[in-house]
Amino acid sequence: MRGHDRPEFISVDEHVQEPPDLWESRLSKAKWGDRIPHLSRQRDRSERWVVDGAPLDLPGAASAGALMPERTREPQRWDEVPPMAYSPAERLKAMDADGVDYAVLYPTIAGASGETFGRITDPELELACVQAYNDWLIEEWAASSDRFIPQCIVPLYPAEAAAAEIRRAVALGHRGVIYPSVPMKLRDVPHINEPEYDPIWSTCQELAVPLCFHSGAAVAGELQPYGMSDAVAGALRNLTRPASTGGVMVNFLMSGALTRFPELQVVFSETGLGWATYLLEYADHQFAGDKLAHEGYALTPSQVFRRQCYVTGWYDQISLKIRHLLGVENILWSTNFPLATSTWPKSWDTIRGWGEDVTPEDRDRILWRNAAKLYKIS
Amino acid sequence: MAPKLQPRCRFSIRLASESEETVEIKFGLISADSHIVLDKDAFSRNMSKTKWGDLIPQVRETEGRDGKKVHRWFVHDAPAGGWGVANCPAAMDSPNPELKIFPQRWEEVPPKVYDPLERLEALDDDGIDAEILFPNDPARGQFFAFGEEFELACVQAHNDATGEWRAASDRYAPLLILPYLSPIETIVAEVERGARMGHRGITVLGEPSHTVKQGVKHFNDPFWYPLWEAAQELEMPIHFHESANAGLVSVPHWDGYSPNAFHTVMTSPTAAMVAQLIPNLVFSHILDRFPQLKWVCAEAGLAWINYVCEGCDHEWEQRHLWTEGFTTRPSELVHRQVYMNFWYEKSGIELRHTIGLDHIMWESDYPHTTSTYPKSWDYVEKTLAGVPDEERRPMLYENAMRVYRLDGARQ
Repeated sequence: MRGHDRPEFISVDEHVQEPPDLWESRLSKAKWGDRIPHLSRQRDRSERWVVDGAPLDLPGAASAGALMPERTREPQRWDEVPPMAYSPAERLKAMDADGVDYAVLYPTIAGASGETFGRITDPELELACVQAYNDWLIEEWAASSDRFIPQCIVPLYPAEAAAAEIRRAVALGHRGVIYPSVPMKLRDVPHINEPEYDPIWSTCQELAVPLCFHSGAAVAGELQPYGMSDAVAGALRNLTRPASTGGVMVNFLMSGALTRFPELQVVFSETGLGWATYLLEYADHQFAGDKLAHEGYALTPSQVFRRQCYVTGWYDQISLKIRHLLGVENILWSTNFPLATSTWPKSWDTIRGWGEDVTPEDRDRILWRNAAKLYKIS
Repeated sequence: MAPKLQPRCRFSIRLASESEETVEIKFGLISADSHIVLDKDAFSRNMSKTKWGDLIPQVRETEGRDGKKVHRWFVHDAPAGGWGVANCPAAMDSPNPELKIFPQRWEEVPPKVYDPLERLEALDDDGIDAEILFPNDPARGQFFAFGEEFELACVQAHNDATGEWRAASDRYAPLLILPYLSPIETIVAEVERGARMGHRGITVLGEPSHTVKQGVKHFNDPFWYPLWEAAQELEMPIHFHESANAGLVSVPHWDGYSPNAFHTVMTSPTAAMVAQLIPNLVFSHILDRFPQLKWVCAEAGLAWINYVCEGCDHEWEQRHLWTEGFTTRPSELVHRQVYMNFWYEKSGIELRHTIGLDHIMWESDYPHTTSTYPKSWDYVEKTLAGVPDEERRPMLYENAMRVYRLDGARQ
């Protein structure tokens, strides 16, 4: 580890901002033309991303609310995007300013949960977009500092194609796999519980890279804002989006996938802790009431969770008082930089706010030991 | 104590509670979430036979899955679902405790669920002083499928029938259901009518525009403000029961689950759904616009509320939401106006001081599957092991007395 006068901190959920030329410089313009993901100038001079002809549902040219004054709006044009969002060298300064040693990376334009290209129905274009991102993240970010932990995205389906990309990406240096938790909402593919997906789970298990279900892929499970300004709607979404993982989590714990692949490690990222603590207790209660031990389930939902799963916190304090009910080995920490909800640049204020409630041993587990083991950072 | 309406109150009706005795506390336990079972004639008795004929909700004989003759509720001449003719597995004598039993014929339904006087004996046997009564099949939200006039007639009949329970004993505090397709004036009039009959609150859909559709306004729309205003003035708390049927299903159904596994998968995320509805109350300004209105999350547990409080406070601070008119810290609003129930959990009881001892109520869920009946006190002792008496009392009955005005008092 890096060695300084404070405990280490591995932030397990940070987002890179893809630059406008990422795909245009790596995909054949002659072959794909305007279908290549690019920034498009609107009539009001704001810029929006367009992917395969469809506008991306993003209220700006980037997601970098934490770097904007008042955090109430997103950059509307690329020239407004602060370099800490897209420049690896600047990002290291942002991490230093916030006391972060390592940052585990998720996309923005490719989808916080890796969902954007799953909507593309042409598999060749989908794969080209995915591989361009994975190559770029290694070349531009991972190659510039070992403090960046790159994670790959994959083509949505078939699972064999996803597994092949996982092998390629891990060979390049990727350390985790981001997959949208409800793929059948993106295009016409089988239910996530079907064994057709096993090649993805088995490849993650074999290569010992965590599978990451970042919140935001279960849109039907999110209450949509109504009658609110953008700033207030953004606040509400930061409560509804993480909580929509509740249904995702119980389903995956009960799906049988984790029984078939008992060494697969699953990170539910950008979740918060408060609802999860209760959900696992309730799931066990329902599991008992529904007599599921008599239906071939060897472990309760919370037992499967503790064996193989993680949730991530960033502002939580109260839930850490009952962390033993969640599992202290199953909690990871993050800053969520550079989203508006990020604790940056005062993440340590939150951590110090835990006070006496969290022992130094447990604090180290939550801040870095659990993540160091999971991502093999030494 | 002679209750008085505030002078600012625009409702001049006399509330049933004003003339009533205080509920006598013999056991020190009130269930803040139980389910009424209406007798098979409850709707026939309260709806016009001339006008509605066989469309009236009623129990009919029909053919079950195995070809046997069974009874089921029919609403508007259509079968109204359910695994039995009544949802009361906790009250059934089952030869095998591993099996959930739903009565298939009306004569199998124990009177101690649908007869208000016999049910009092069940309450005595279980050591419970009073029950807050939520709806049950066939009145869990499906009346809106058949048009405005029929919906209103069914809702009024339901509220009349549950009002009969209040008249039978002040140990029952029934909740109203609402006619979603009606104009707001009609909805408010139904609430006023319920207040006169002695109903003690309203149970609502978490997002009617998702569930009912048919042009029904979004929960946050000013259309509903007169309802919140009336409920505030009449001291009728609004209830989200379980997920409040808000339709926030993250993952579509999978055919590979058995019915029991599917039940666990579908019900376990309840709290993660209500944990979205309460932030919406905060960020829609509904809580601060109606500061005396109480909200109750029933059968959803406790500990998840910390997610709401911490998450909303965090966003409020990060985004400087006081500049958007949110002058009060969100967690203060939640602690002021939101109440929750527990029946088995550890996590919320460990955090009871953070949640607020005066906002936690106990529930039995009688006679549904998860119910603590007939061993409610065993559950209480197990769940509250180590909790001192002075902290138990508010959670076990004092808060419910206050929230539902069972002590005859108005604030």
